[in-house]
Amino acid sequence: MKIFKTSLKWLFYALALVVIASFSIIPLFVLFKLSVSAPGETMAETLTNFTTWYWGNYTSAWNSSNLGTAIGNSLIITLGALVILIFVSSMAGYAIARSKKWYNQTFFKALLLSMMLPAVLTTVPLYIIMKFIHGINTYWAMILLLAAQTLPFSIFVYAGFIRGVPKEIEEAAIVDGCTPFTAFWRVVFPILKPVTASIVIIQGVSIWNNYGQAVYFLTQPNMETLPLAINSFFSKYSANWHEMAAAALIGIAPTIIVFVAFQRYFVKGLTAGAIKG
Amino acid sequence: MKLAKVRKSFSRAVGDNLHKWMILPAFLLFLTFVLIPLAFSFGLSFTSWNGIGKADFVGLANFATFFSDERAGNAVKNSVVFAACSVPLLNVLGLGYALLLDHKNSFNKVVKAIVYVPAVISPLIMGYIWLLVLKDNYGVIFTIFGLFGASGSYANLLGDKDLALVVIILINAFQYVGLTMTIYSAGLQSIPVDLYESASVDGASWWQKFLHITLPMLGPSILINIITNIIGSLGIFDLVVSLTSGGPGYHTETLSLYIYRLAYGARSGYASAIAVMMFFIILIPVLIAYFIMKKSNLYLNEDEG
Repeated sequence: MKIFKTSLKWLFYALALVVIASFSIIPLFVLFKLSVSAPGETMAETLTNFTTWYWGNYTSAWNSSNLGTAIGNSLIITLGALVILIFVSSMAGYAIARSKKWYNQTFFKALLLSMMLPAVLTTVPLYIIMKFIHGINTYWAMILLLAAQTLPFSIFVYAGFIRGVPKEIEEAAIVDGCTPFTAFWRVVFPILKPVTASIVIIQGVSIWNNYGQAVYFLTQPNMETLPLAINSFFSKYSANWHEMAAAALIGIAPTIIVFVAFQRYFVKGLTAGAIKG
Repeated sequence: MKLAKVRKSFSRAVGDNLHKWMILPAFLLFLTFVLIPLAFSFGLSFTSWNGIGKADFVGLANFATFFSDERAGNAVKNSVVFAACSVPLLNVLGLGYALLLDHKNSFNKVVKAIVYVPAVISPLIMGYIWLLVLKDNYGVIFTIFGLFGASGSYANLLGDKDLALVVIILINAFQYVGLTMTIYSAGLQSIPVDLYESASVDGASWWQKFLHITLPMLGPSILINIITNIIGSLGIFDLVVSLTSGGPGYHTETLSLYIYRLAYGARSGYASAIAVMMFFIILIPVLIAYFIMKKSNLYLNEDEG
């Protein structure tokens, strides 16, 4: 009797988990099903017919859109912003963790405060600055802008982690002839690898998905990033749901693949950012 | 000989002090793209600047306009309703998921990963995906209604002036519940097991343990989740753009969307004034959340900063 009761409990438990998981994944399955429908099919046929799979929507969506160029642009901007972000934020995190000088600590407080501000707040003046530095529709300005916007979180995570790294490691390197600066790059930075990986993954996805800034500062079709290209595609072909589904899947595939491949870094980075120690 | 010595001592001096400059690149980047624009925003909010030409100082006129602008009031209302519903929804769901999936095994790990997947999708594209599901005339749910011969009873949720915002709230929760859950999961795992063991010895029920151990020990996670959710929901933009673009009418127009439209509509001074108001609107709940957590006996990490 008792065994029956506990196994029933487990059954309900397992059922709840299946419901939770399917709730999150079913919309994506539906999207996939729509994307492999034949062009002439009605929605009702697509939802009931599980025998034919038509892959042509992917090629036609690709050909009638800007997706190829957009993926290239997104790659350039994301990788560029990440390189700058890691270089700049690891050094700043180190300075903040190791030096109690007032300017370091004030800067840290300013960073924490700025994490509370949504990006839309500075849109209008940013436009003036981007125009002033001739940065509209350029890779380099978009790279610098997105690196700057992801800076606070990254410095926060780096500084928190470096505080836990024993100082003796650098001191030994300095005794061996390193300057504090080279000691950072040769000795401390390699230790930070797991943090760096987490920041690259989490911030990489958010830079890749950026729409709020890109929509203002990348206005030429040949500079469109992936979200912008999907946006233009959806407003242009607003009735062709076969191709729209395929385009949306092309649009979300890169981040999902990155997530599946580097899942543990997401969890680590979020936790490091959220709860210290 | 002497020159080499000088050069060596020079490079030594620079090298020894280089680490003091390590914050400089970050500071310059932050100054150019965050601090100066922010200061600029405050400055512009006192002008009638239209995006080109020169900016005339108008004092507090923009703020006076803000308080009499019905569309601005509506945008504030939408943003606040969105946040006031999203924050509790995300936290209750996220904590519930985390508790259900707390046991460490590979099945739970897979479920956790699946729940997190929507969070890595661009919110703009997420909106378009749900548009395909919810559209009337051909959308997935409309069609399913039709298969049961009930297409007449399908209401176009996104075209309904009251329900559209609810739909956006639910889709946002669908997308980010995994993020909230992940932070709670980590919080749960950091609670020492012996606390529960000694409570069990004392005969505490599941509910008592939850109230007196789990919740207080989750203090930092609750705080970080609530604050990030408040900031995230008050700034919501991408999802609204693709789902309703503020419609029907202005019924789902949020503050971010209104600022965006004003900036495009050459009312840059006024857009900046609304941005400044938005800053204060966000500051209030974040400060309240922080002080409530600090005052209550919830455990907080105090050695921050």
